Amino acid sequence: MHDPGPMVQEHAPEDQARNVEVRLTRAGLGLARRLGDGAGGLLLDRLLRILEARHPRAFAALGELPDARLLIDPVDAPAALLLRVGPGLALRVCGRDAEAEATVRGPCARLLDLLEGRIDGDALFFRRELSIEGDTALILALRNTLDGEEMDLFADIAAAAGPLRHALPVARRNAGRVLGLLGTARRFAPPPLRWGMAVLERRLSGPRQGA
Amino acid sequence: MNPFELICPAGNPAALRAAVDAGADAVYLGFRDETNARNFPGLNFSRAELAEAVAYAHARSVQVFVAINTYPQAGNLAPWQRAVDDAARLKADAVILADLGLLDYAARHHPELRLHLSVQASAANAEAIRLYRDAFRVRRVVLPRVLTVPEIARLNAEVDVETEVFVFGGLCPMAEGRCSLSSYATGLSPNKQGVCSPASHVRYEPRGAALASRLGGFTINVFGAGEPAGYPTLCKGRFVPGGGASADPAYLFEEPTSLNALELLPDLKAAKVCALKIEGRQRGKAYIAAVVAAYRRALDAFARGQPVPSLDLDAMVEGGSQTTGAYTRAWR
Repeated sequence: MHDPGPMVQEHAPEDQARNVEVRLTRAGLGLARRLGDGAGGLLLDRLLRILEARHPRAFAALGELPDARLLIDPVDAPAALLLRVGPGLALRVCGRDAEAEATVRGPCARLLDLLEGRIDGDALFFRRELSIEGDTALILALRNTLDGEEMDLFADIAAAAGPLRHALPVARRNAGRVLGLLGTARRFAPPPLRWGMAVLERRLSGPRQGA
Repeated sequence: MNPFELICPAGNPAALRAAVDAGADAVYLGFRDETNARNFPGLNFSRAELAEAVAYAHARSVQVFVAINTYPQAGNLAPWQRAVDDAARLKADAVILADLGLLDYAARHHPELRLHLSVQASAANAEAIRLYRDAFRVRRVVLPRVLTVPEIARLNAEVDVETEVFVFGGLCPMAEGRCSLSSYATGLSPNKQGVCSPASHVRYEPRGAALASRLGGFTINVFGAGEPAGYPTLCKGRFVPGGGASADPAYLFEEPTSLNALELLPDLKAAKVCALKIEGRQRGKAYIAAVVAAYRRALDAFARGQPVPSLDLDAMVEGGSQTTGAYTRAWR
């Protein structure tokens, strides 16, 4: 059996924290897909309500758009998302070939950066890291609406967790150190344990859909 | 004291805060309608957002300019006049106008309001600029991107109106306010409705590893695998000249490249340019924060007489390449 080696590379602490958030996002997508429309749908509804409470202006704008579906496809994640804008605002996990009026495709990390306004969508497009198809006006309206917010997905979720919200900055500050320790522990672990950890990580992330 | 004001774009309140925090001297923005030349979905400011923006900027000694720089349509002047009235009421530091009638309206109804002439007016000679000054008390002219730096220097020697020039961002095909390419393809006008290549008329199609961009049903460019892409504007489209006799599509008007005049700071200072403008109200706040901060560092170093740091902004710009454009006219 091939030892996949450590999955976390050497990066600055903030980059390592970000890597963890990206992996958690992918794992969350995998989990929502496994849970199916019922429980997975409830999970995503809860996420939308949390974000709406934190960003009412953006959600009011999304609710005023004409009814349309946007396929958001993180190409390195186990599932895609279908966002319905307009009066029936909703978010669901879906397949990569789901029918939609518009599609945005890119690496999960870049899409997360875009959601949070950490990166410029035009720059991603110029560099061909982001591909878009279908109703360009819908994509632009969504991009511009989200860019007008100071969104931070994990901080927004943490804020809804009451006193636990104070744990996030600490976790982000220490993510690099903790991951370093885990990486060291992994290197010194006996091979069967290393393989078991790798398998667990893969199961958490879920198989890449369509791969 | 810095020889230049740094004028920065904002397409939404978060972008305005990013520009202010990154070191803008003034931020320009537009209302969420056809009165400004970046009338794109989800972009721009409501009246309430302008009020908040002015409060945020003024608390940090930064000015706010409101671009009302499209041309009113016959029989429908009200949105443009209301925009001027609201900008004045909400304490904007200046309005950026292009239309003669609107300039006249603003000068008559808001004599205290500072008037800037938009690049959309394409005022490129001393006679035109003097006319705007004498007729409407225009205090500053944003020069069209057609002049060389020596031409700007000669112009500034002839007029006593402040001049502002673009130093970074997207380029127009040197016919600002008069371009009908997008109107031809879409039926909607950049100059009247504020929409150059309206998103509703733009489609992107993957063709294998290539990417085709279409505008109003016309294929206007095909980017090869890995080739940096550009905006879906006709001026930056690739065409087959000679009625299809040539097999290779080529850029006829402009290439997808971005203006960066950083290396010209000494020449622009010598030319007595007053303000430097960054293009990009349609860009995200990450772009605005990065570009404004980079230019702020550069201008501060320049003011101190230190070497100007180079800007690593290739990854941000259209086509992944930069030019000094008409300022040096390297193509001649």
